[in-house]
Amino acid sequence: MADLRIENLAKTFKDGHEALRGISLAVADREAVFLLGPSGAGKTTTLRLIAGLEDATAGRIRIGGRDVTDRTPRERNLAMVYDKHSLFPHMTIFENLAYPLRVRNTGEADMRQRIASVAETLQIEGLMDRRPAQLSGGQQQRVAIGRALVREADCYLLDEPISHLDAQLRARMRVEFKRLQREFKATMLYVSHDQLEAMTMADRIVLINKGRIEQIAPPQEMFDRPATLFAATFIGEPLMNTVPAVLSEEAGGFALTLGGARIPLHRDWVMSGSALVAGAAYSVGIRPQHIALAAADAAGPGIVRGTVFAVETLGSRVIFDVDLAGAIIRVMTTVDAARRHAQQIGAPIAFRVDPDFVCLFDVASGQTVRQARFSARVPAA
Amino acid sequence: MATIDTTITSPDAPPVQRNGWVYAVIIAVCVVNFLPYLWVVMTGFMDGAAAASRAPQWIFTPTLDAFRYLIFEKGIMSNFMNSLIVALCSTFFSVTIGMFCAYALARYDFIGRDDVSFWVLTNRMMPPVAVLIPIFVIFQTLKLLDTLPGLILLYTAMQLPFVVWMLTGYFRDIPRRYEESAMVDGDTWFQAFRKVTLPLMMPSITATAIFVMILSWNEFAFATFLTSTNAKTMPPAIMAYSIGADIEWNVLGAAVVLITAPLILFVLVMQRQLISGLSQGVVKK
Repeated sequence: MADLRIENLAKTFKDGHEALRGISLAVADREAVFLLGPSGAGKTTTLRLIAGLEDATAGRIRIGGRDVTDRTPRERNLAMVYDKHSLFPHMTIFENLAYPLRVRNTGEADMRQRIASVAETLQIEGLMDRRPAQLSGGQQQRVAIGRALVREADCYLLDEPISHLDAQLRARMRVEFKRLQREFKATMLYVSHDQLEAMTMADRIVLINKGRIEQIAPPQEMFDRPATLFAATFIGEPLMNTVPAVLSEEAGGFALTLGGARIPLHRDWVMSGSALVAGAAYSVGIRPQHIALAAADAAGPGIVRGTVFAVETLGSRVIFDVDLAGAIIRVMTTVDAARRHAQQIGAPIAFRVDPDFVCLFDVASGQTVRQARFSARVPAA
Repeated sequence: MATIDTTITSPDAPPVQRNGWVYAVIIAVCVVNFLPYLWVVMTGFMDGAAAASRAPQWIFTPTLDAFRYLIFEKGIMSNFMNSLIVALCSTFFSVTIGMFCAYALARYDFIGRDDVSFWVLTNRMMPPVAVLIPIFVIFQTLKLLDTLPGLILLYTAMQLPFVVWMLTGYFRDIPRRYEESAMVDGDTWFQAFRKVTLPLMMPSITATAIFVMILSWNEFAFATFLTSTNAKTMPPAIMAYSIGADIEWNVLGAAVVLITAPLILFVLVMQRQLISGLSQGVVKK
């Protein structure tokens, strides 16, 4: 195992498309880092550059302290798993698993022993004489992962290895992956567009968008303290609510005006950090999980009134989409709480915003100017 | 309350269409294609009188006279060997060289790539007869006239565009990921090509090779012009029996059997390879 470090990596393709605009990140020895981002963000390009399948336009790649930027793929000692086409269709599963070992002239006995041990871990012992086409999608991906695990690579690169499996199988594979990670403790860079995969499996997440890094943080911190508006809306299900609101200052107190309602803010929170401008519009971010429904006639600080736009039942939770004169705010509540409120479309409803769970974004730059107050109370893990 | 019908019935399987016309068409095609050939083969086994008689004879005593005449008196087997050598060698060279050209065109992005692949195709558009005289002169100068290497060289050059064009498409259909996987696993480019891409390409390469072989085996115009005695192949050799005032039909029939038999046997043996090779990429996507 070794650590992986990339510095100012950039890639512009021949057609002028800028896939990566200079990214730097480090994966510590035996750490699982997830490259998360929407499609076209440059995740796979990053992985291909690290593997040596593309030439970098600029930047350096170091594995275990060794600069490998100009080395061929075989000199980098990496293992890679693709979303598909990882297995050679003309070879049996055994031959597929043996391939990376045969390339390295591993002895026959050692080879069989390693394959047997990996096959046992991945529960693919019974498939050795089959061909890839005879396996199900989940089995194929297990074998593909096995192919990467049979040899001791410095770093494992995984390109959405379970993304195209069906939801149930994906959930099972996520658990299996966590177990593998515990057993093998490998340096791992995992590309995914699925935040759930990243949140559940990563030690740290590198959030990437349009060829740039938005934020690098552990999963919980990414959720609690998003560095940008993009990070805030990409992570979390359902989406974080973001609405424009005006910051006002009166009688020494600060408040946000949201949908005609006033939400008083803590003075020390507003005053800490970079100066906020009273009268200016900010993007307000509140997670649906952090808003509580209130009776339509409720009054008090932080109460915002609107009408029911839609109600989505998820089984264990109910999401209310509340219309605030055009802006839709989603509120996630329990089934019990939902029963106490009118659910017809158009019915008046209110919700209470706790100022501790509000974060502010700069409208122009998309940067977070204030993290939610609650996130400072619990030190980020 | 209205009762809800909860019984589920699956629809009957659609009736299989039995269309007699299909068989009529198939039989018509078979008759048009095979009857003349069958007639030629039968003629090859007749004696001179039976073959020359005006009334067609379906029942006759088969004889190998015509074959004996061709093989022992005319020594047609030397032409046969020439054809075999030329066809095998030119197929081998054109497929080997063409394979690498096609791989480069399919995998690498270089300046003028599209021009090269178009230029390769234009070579096929030109009628070969147009360059017959220039090639004759070139062969004369290089002392390649009536030699097997000369014919092999020419046929290789002639078949190369076809091979490149066919194989480029097939190479494109094979995901690059396979090679990349092998390279990340520690192979050099050539090892990855040999161990992964080539085995996957084998059906397509075989199909292309069969086509090229048939074309080379049957090539007539250049063979007639550029060879006389030493390197004469089957097609010009047979021409001798099909022109003139007094055609011996049974000899001509035997000659046709000799020239087509190897191809028919070859294709029958390789049929599965041929079909799977041609349909590769069409089904696998």
